Amino acid sequence: MRSGFFIILALLSGGVAARHVAATRESARKPAATQAQVTFNRDIAPIVFRNCALCHHPGEAGPFPLLTYADVKTHGRQIALVTRKRIMPPWLPDRGELKFTDELRLSDEEIGTIQSWVDQGEIEGHPADLPAQPTFTSGWQLGKPDVIVRAAKPYLLLAGGSDSYWNFVFRTPVHRSQWLSAIEIRPGDKRLVHHANVLVDREESGRGLEKEPGAGFSGMELVIESKAFDPDSHFLFWKPGSRPYVEPDGMALRLDKNTDLVLNTHFQPSGKPELIQPTLGLYFTDKPGTRHPILLQLDNDRMLDIPPGERNFLVSDDFTLPVDASVLAIYPHAHYLGRDLLALATLPNGTKKTLIHIGNWDLNWQAVYRYEQPVDLPAGTTISMRFSYDNSAENIRNPNQPPKRVVAGNRASDEMAHLWLQVLPHESGDATIDPRVQIQEALALHHLQNNPEDFEAHYNLAALFQMKGELSGAVLQFTEAVRIRPDDPTANNALGAVLLAGGQIDGAIPHLNTALKGRPDYFDAHYNLGNALAAQGDFAGALTHFQAAVRLHPQDANAEANLGSALAETGNVKEARLHFERALEIDPKNELARENLEQLNRDSHDHPN
Amino acid sequence: MGRRWHTIRVVRLLLVVIIAAGLACTSLGAENTAFDLAGNPVDPLKSGGGKIVVLVFVRTDCPVSNRYAPAIQQLSEEHAAKAAFWLVYPSKAESAEVIRKHQREYGYKIPALRDPQHVLVKESQVEITPEVAVFSTDRRLVYHGRIDNLYEDVGRTRSVATTHELQDAISAALGGKSLPVDATHAVGCYISDLE
Repeated sequence: MRSGFFIILALLSGGVAARHVAATRESARKPAATQAQVTFNRDIAPIVFRNCALCHHPGEAGPFPLLTYADVKTHGRQIALVTRKRIMPPWLPDRGELKFTDELRLSDEEIGTIQSWVDQGEIEGHPADLPAQPTFTSGWQLGKPDVIVRAAKPYLLLAGGSDSYWNFVFRTPVHRSQWLSAIEIRPGDKRLVHHANVLVDREESGRGLEKEPGAGFSGMELVIESKAFDPDSHFLFWKPGSRPYVEPDGMALRLDKNTDLVLNTHFQPSGKPELIQPTLGLYFTDKPGTRHPILLQLDNDRMLDIPPGERNFLVSDDFTLPVDASVLAIYPHAHYLGRDLLALATLPNGTKKTLIHIGNWDLNWQAVYRYEQPVDLPAGTTISMRFSYDNSAENIRNPNQPPKRVVAGNRASDEMAHLWLQVLPHESGDATIDPRVQIQEALALHHLQNNPEDFEAHYNLAALFQMKGELSGAVLQFTEAVRIRPDDPTANNALGAVLLAGGQIDGAIPHLNTALKGRPDYFDAHYNLGNALAAQGDFAGALTHFQAAVRLHPQDANAEANLGSALAETGNVKEARLHFERALEIDPKNELARENLEQLNRDSHDHPN
Repeated sequence: MGRRWHTIRVVRLLLVVIIAAGLACTSLGAENTAFDLAGNPVDPLKSGGGKIVVLVFVRTDCPVSNRYAPAIQQLSEEHAAKAAFWLVYPSKAESAEVIRKHQREYGYKIPALRDPQHVLVKESQVEITPEVAVFSTDRRLVYHGRIDNLYEDVGRTRSVATTHELQDAISAALGGKSLPVDATHAVGCYISDLE
């Protein structure tokens, strides 16, 4: 009797289960609203915890927390709307063949579930169904940094008005070259920052743009100068919700003494005045960089000349890779008129790969996208950029109302058509060939093909020739750069320097003077002009410039040694000796100072006073 | 016998509950009003003093309404002689203390009201924060909707606003004209999410 009862029960429950399954199959074809009851604890919390809470928790970028039933309910309809329109979570790229890391995209099913929950009256559900609230590390995400640097002065963001673009210059406290595995960017109040980029500034280019030391400077884009061939190699990017990126072993970033880090930021006013003082956390590693990626930039700024009212203005660029390489990450960039951004790779065998497609560009959510797997591209692959722009009044983001002609430029009301790729060239097998140099040279030539008046391309090509010891090529290209920008201090100094190196002293001097006219505190130009004048036998003139050089860079042993030489040549032996000694104090291996000091000692021995 | 007694008891209990609910309703009805930050009932539409009345509905955690703070404060100062501006916070959860802090941070000098029962929300027919309602001196709703068109839609923002509906509505109300009351759809956060 008893056992019979149990059998009946079992059969009954089996029957119920079967009906339940049938009902589920049935409802799958019906609109979401008629689905089984959706509860916060069982259905919504997992979606919100996984996709929203990352930014929507205290101290993060989201304007309110989304951690509890009450949090989510008090924004329920809002959440249903912004997820349905795919405004949240913010993720621009269309779904494609290549996968990016940290993709933040809800499935259609998840969006339907949120919709149903709101339609059904936002039911909380059974407490046992609620998953554990996600836990977040407060403070530094990668643990305590080895070094923390803080912006010298805060930036005052006004309560209202347009978006602001500000650059902070961080002086790094390293005293010898060190390898960085990560930089954690803490841009200040995260609710105000749309994105931030760190640029490695090895030549103190940013400082020159500050009104006073530490003040920072405004600007949406900037050009960083570099003396040696040391192309940008890493994306150091922050956006709301992004986790600091730790470079894999062998991909560390070199940080030298006197290297500045420039943080380029984009702020949106919040309605109240805000003081923003970002900090950077530096994480060192003892594993040096052995694999050297390079940031490759496609652009076609010369094509950017968009008539008012034009709804579909196309800008394209195609660059063919001279070497085998892997693409690690991609960063497409346009301003407010950009609408559809596409990057393609066409392999030598004709196969096409979509590297990225953003069908609905929004500058506010721009980001660097890293591939889950490196994208291998053989030499001969053509990378294509196809960007479309909408300069009509219907483009509500158009900064000009009524629309006007827009060309390339650095201000928010100008436009840009840039596509950056982080590529890792494959080993060539020939240690004497740096594939990055091959890429850089191919790029400079490519940019000149697009625009023979491209100042930076001429400059970079000249620098590559100089590096390879091809002085006449370097002179030719630097001359072109100076022709395009006759007053540019950097190009004039560089041209003066290669002419000097080739013994053309008379030709060098006017360019070095022009460089100093444009930038009176230009160390390199003072140093070079000092050398040029000394080579002509004008030691009094040389003395002035070496004195200026030492004043600007008191820690430069060569400048001290040269100052000593100029002093000795003008008869001031006593002071000359002090500067040779000072040079050796800075760098005990400075040969010029050592030899000259020995010479002075011999002279004083031969002709004692 | 036992069963019948049980039924009666249930009915009587229910009655008690109904009476209590009814009493609560009545007592709230007596104060069917918005409150100032000291907790006193205030009807901003009665205390206009011959001025038109502008109610600005905001909440402390709505980024869109916060971004409008400087524009709202500026408009209220420009029209101070002829328009009485009030900030209305429709959230039950936002205490007077939280609102005071919010006002300080965002530089608001406009008097603030709490509207936990949504009395003003209903009278103004508003659904969003930030949304504004403009009343004529004779308490007629002249306009409710967006302040301007800076936000075309959620997530779609202009660089600068090109139409200024609140400004237009104030001018119309001062000139004795009327506008289509619900001419525009405000963009921001749903007030119904607060219920």
